Amino acid sequence: MTKDRKSGSSDSDAPGADLRSERDLFLKKFTGGAKLTEDFVREVEQLQERLRHLEAENAGLRAKVEADEAIRDLLSKIERLENEKRELVSRFHRAEAVNSEFTARVQEVESEFANLANLFVASNQLHSSLSPRGVTRRIKEVLAQLVGAERYCMYLANQDTTELVPIAYEGVAGASLTPVKIADSELGQAVVKGTASVSDLDPTQGTVQRPAAIIPLSVDEKTVGVIAIFSTLAQKKRFDTVDFELFKLLGQHAAAALVSASLFAQTDRKLPGLEAFLDLSV
Amino acid sequence: MAEYSCLIVEDSPMMRQLLVFALARVRNLRVTEADDGVDGLRKLASARYDIIVTDINMPIMDGLKLVKRVRSDPIHKDTPIVIITTEGSQEDRQRALQLGANAYITKPIQAPQVIATVKELLKID
Repeated sequence: MTKDRKSGSSDSDAPGADLRSERDLFLKKFTGGAKLTEDFVREVEQLQERLRHLEAENAGLRAKVEADEAIRDLLSKIERLENEKRELVSRFHRAEAVNSEFTARVQEVESEFANLANLFVASNQLHSSLSPRGVTRRIKEVLAQLVGAERYCMYLANQDTTELVPIAYEGVAGASLTPVKIADSELGQAVVKGTASVSDLDPTQGTVQRPAAIIPLSVDEKTVGVIAIFSTLAQKKRFDTVDFELFKLLGQHAAAALVSASLFAQTDRKLPGLEAFLDLSV
Repeated sequence: MAEYSCLIVEDSPMMRQLLVFALARVRNLRVTEADDGVDGLRKLASARYDIIVTDINMPIMDGLKLVKRVRSDPIHKDTPIVIITTEGSQEDRQRALQLGANAYITKPIQAPQVIATVKELLKID
């Protein structure tokens, strides 16, 4: 049949114009549909591509947001830590201030303790001997070892209180020390006034004529002599608080210890009997 | 806590008393007294000391001779020695340090300085 149709085709077999037109229309529509489908497919592909791109972009943005949050967290943590640090630093400074105040106080107490030890030892030594020579040696030790005196002399007033007589000295030639009139001398003034005098000059540079310090010695509230510190050791550039306390101690105890020792020596170192103490109650 | 021992060699009873008072402020420090260099050597021969504090001007044997002897003693050759003296010149200081003294303090002493020096040499707080 087919062969027949082919071979025997004739114009009468050919489709009619309407059919051709219909075919062409169909083909045209089909081609248009195929093109449209292709367009759709392309568009779908583009949209998928765009979607992937947007998803990637979205993931990136999400990651960025997350990172921003982490940064915000970190920033807030840093701020909190900064506050804590400020607080700790402030507490540290407060503790440091308290500590330095405490250290200064400890040093002050240690220094006071050292001064008291000096005074205790000086007093203890002055009264630890009952021989005039022993007391004199101890007075000299206090002057040399505790005060730092290099050249000095202890004078006692004579019976009628007109002259000061040198009785013990160190660092100066004995011959250069002569009795001194109380009435017209710097040493005598200390006896008259009963108060110590300390030169404003460098004590290492003092002289016999211009002593660095003059300490009146009293017994029973009466001045009986003086200690003149002519000059101090090279390293003793000034008198400190403890030195003034030592001057007071020497002024009040040195002569008393010397007088006690002299009286004891006069009694041939015989201790007084009990009867001497029986009527002491006041 | 470690205990330390200190030998004070000083002929003046007053200075010895003062040094004993001062060094009583150093915790765990046991103090022994000697009244001159010979007495000091005798005490060093019978016991071991961690530090020696000595005067220079003393009868029988002075402090510098003592330093020399201590430095030749195998037991105490490295023991720190603090010199306490009225001699304040640079030459005296130099001489004492050359002989082997570790520190040099001039009189009149300041107890806090003595305490600080002893603590430093014994490496204690």
